[in-house]
Amino acid sequence: MKNIFHLKVFENNDLLIVVALIFGLLTFASILFFVIGKIKPKANLTELKARTKSWWFMASIFIAATIVNTNISYIAIAFLSFVAFRELYSLLGFRQSDRRAIFLAFISIPIQYYLAYISWYGTFIIFIPVVMFLVLPLRLVLKGDTEGIVKSMALLQWTLMLTVFGLSHMAYLLSLPDIEGFNSGGRGLLLFLVFLTEINDVMQFTWGKLLGKHKIIPKISPNKTWEGFIGGILSTTAIGYFLAFLTPLDTPHVLFVSFMIAFSGFVGDIVVSSVKRDIGVKDTGTSIPGHGGVLDRIDSLAYTAPVFFHMVYFIAY
Amino acid sequence: MQKLILLIVYSFFVKWFLKIFVGVKFKNAKFLVDEKQFIIVANHNSHLDTMSLMASLPRSIIHKVKPVAAGDHFGKTKFKEKLSSYFINALLIKRGRDKENPENDPIHKMIKALDDGFSLILFPEGSRGVPEEEQPLKKGIGLVLSQRPKVKFVPAYMKGMGKAMPKGDNLIVPHNCTLVYGEPTKIVNTDVDQIVNQIEDYFDKLKISGEI
Repeated sequence: MKNIFHLKVFENNDLLIVVALIFGLLTFASILFFVIGKIKPKANLTELKARTKSWWFMASIFIAATIVNTNISYIAIAFLSFVAFRELYSLLGFRQSDRRAIFLAFISIPIQYYLAYISWYGTFIIFIPVVMFLVLPLRLVLKGDTEGIVKSMALLQWTLMLTVFGLSHMAYLLSLPDIEGFNSGGRGLLLFLVFLTEINDVMQFTWGKLLGKHKIIPKISPNKTWEGFIGGILSTTAIGYFLAFLTPLDTPHVLFVSFMIAFSGFVGDIVVSSVKRDIGVKDTGTSIPGHGGVLDRIDSLAYTAPVFFHMVYFIAY
Repeated sequence: MQKLILLIVYSFFVKWFLKIFVGVKFKNAKFLVDEKQFIIVANHNSHLDTMSLMASLPRSIIHKVKPVAAGDHFGKTKFKEKLSSYFINALLIKRGRDKENPENDPIHKMIKALDDGFSLILFPEGSRGVPEEEQPLKKGIGLVLSQRPKVKFVPAYMKGMGKAMPKGDNLIVPHNCTLVYGEPTKIVNTDVDQIVNQIEDYFDKLKISGEI
């Protein structure tokens, strides 16, 4: 019992600084929108306010679940995967006869996160791309309904890769071995990844709103502009530089990794956007006011998590 | 005692199970507190339907609402019958009419429950049928409402439940589902066919608004 309430975060100044920074930013945003709302009552801030409110909620949950106790973090990230997987597959229109295979896919979620928990890297990295890739089609074949089976095989594997395999890299960050002289450990890396990914989304949005003129990919996301893209990448890389103390990397590596987070975050965002466009929905759900569904918020994380993990794993471990 | 059990089972366990594991989104049903008596008419695809409707009810009235269920299924054995009437608070009826024996007649039983002060949950499509497909409504709801025209009906539309737990398969596979309520409405005419039509129209409207 004592272990659960043993708040390591308060003994670690590096993590504490970032937690303070997150809440500072949120306070700033809330005050800013409140003041703008008072000065210009006509400005339509409902969505921005809803977003900020949801940010408060998500940041609190994330910090509570991830920083306070590592064991809770694995469960929390696994649950996030579960909700994202459920949300995405529900939209994709599977057949009635796919239910057993989908159930198997659900079972793979706790297994994948358990593998991360026990730090069994070799199996963790092949479980979904190899084991599930071979097993799920077998389950579909045993059911015997061949009409549309190719589509089901492909969709199920892709959904699992995006929402479970990709996100589970966040959990594996926590299982990385200690490096001498690097105090923040896996939590520092996780905080670095999530903070940078989300700040990248916010920065791309903000720069796009402020300066955006030239559309970058109008067929998929009409609101995305070159100005937002470049502004986002530059600010995210700069912020990454200042947060380098959360990682065991030296300056050139931190700059490169931050740049890659910003870039892959953008890619994850437009990939999920194109999927939504194909299905004909604006958001993947309604769980988070102002943001849409869970997947709308973590679409970029599904891309940045594996990119960041493998870069850090290659450079530092 | 039964109220307490229903409260613990539905407002807590079933509700959170449906919300967190299955992925059901409940729309607010607080407005039902202001209605003295009502019949919830809902589409029927899954055993999760009754669970979700019960779990969505405001706590103060949960023991006053009886889901109407087929006696041949839920009352197969004496034990099953006791379980259904205690834990689901179900009103068990026969699927067909029984004019000679008013005690056993489904319409008579429903009207009696209304006169006793209960509200009802009714699935006028009858059996669950093919998942996610609507069937024409049966006349029973019209017969009941034409005899008690002051009771309002509340349409409820559920989507996705048939994917999470379809008929003939007892495995629950989580799937995002929604439950939306329409406005409580009085019937305009006591003609049985017109009542059924009115409800069907209302269902279609709710279906469109529920998908947005």
